Amino acid sequence: MDRFERQLTQLMQQDRQPAAFEIRHREALRAGVRARRRVRAARRAAGSVLAVAGLGLGLFLWPHGHTDDRPTAPNPRPAVSPTPTPAASPTRSPSQSPSLSPSAPPASSTATPSDSPTPGDTGAASEPPATTGTTATTSYRPPPATATARGGSTTAPATASVSAPAEPSDHPSSVVSPSG
Amino acid sequence: MEQTRAGEYDAFVAARWSVLFHLARLLTGGDRHRAEDLLQESLVKLWFVWPKVADEAPEAYVRKVLARAAARSARRRWWGERPVEQLPEVAAAGDMSATVAERSRLEAALAQLSPQQRAAVVLRYYQDLPDRQVAETLGCPVGTARSHAARGVARLRRLLADVIEPVG
Repeated sequence: MDRFERQLTQLMQQDRQPAAFEIRHREALRAGVRARRRVRAARRAAGSVLAVAGLGLGLFLWPHGHTDDRPTAPNPRPAVSPTPTPAASPTRSPSQSPSLSPSAPPASSTATPSDSPTPGDTGAASEPPATTGTTATTSYRPPPATATARGGSTTAPATASVSAPAEPSDHPSSVVSPSG
Repeated sequence: MEQTRAGEYDAFVAARWSVLFHLARLLTGGDRHRAEDLLQESLVKLWFVWPKVADEAPEAYVRKVLARAAARSARRRWWGERPVEQLPEVAAAGDMSATVAERSRLEAALAQLSPQQRAAVVLRYYQDLPDRQVAETLGCPVGTARSHAARGVARLRRLLADVIEPVG
């Protein structure tokens, strides 16, 4: 330690001014302690709230079971849902078995003679093939057959080919008619 | 229990206030208001650890808090220090207020040091702490504390050349 450093030490130490601990210092100190205590309490409360919120969020997002995550079973197809009313049988038969032979529908239609092809039924019978497949549509819907069924004049060729003697069925029989 | 704790704490603060305030004033480069704030902050921290340090060395704890806070102060906010070419309030020879002027010169010179250099110089020369303890108080390596003190003294030597008489 050289002379300058010694003098610097002496200057720093002799420079001290007497400073009393006054009332205002005490009050300021108490206020500082109270403020710091409040800050600590607020920080602790905020930490607790954040911890609880995080825990709740974690529990909320926790997967409860594996069965809920699986896809549900496919809905039942509307094709099998209708009740077995007589009017539904000609409508359903072409769509369910488009690959059937043309002679099958007349058999069902012959079983219910009361279901004679009305204009409304004719339209219903011709609709389903349009939604099921192209092959069934082309094989089941010949417009001339419908016309002949209404007229009733072509009953003889239809019954002769399909071997469904009772009814002048409009649709399938005309497909396999010899005239076609 | 709380009353006993408060009584001991008040007695310590009242007894050591003058010394600690002077240390804070040197550490802040003579800024009285900032020194009060710094000391208040350190004593508030002391209150919360008083049961732990009351029987050991509460003054050393306050000194450490003071020095570290003062050394950090430049990074926290700007305290309005500006480097100047000429030191203000140059004391005239034979002036009656020569002591006050010397104090002002010393504080003005300390204010021109960096906070780390100022803290190292004050701890080293005012508190008369060895380099290892200065480093421990500031929380830095011994070499760093020694470097801060050496650079601070070198700068003070230039600033206070006319106040402290050169070696004859």
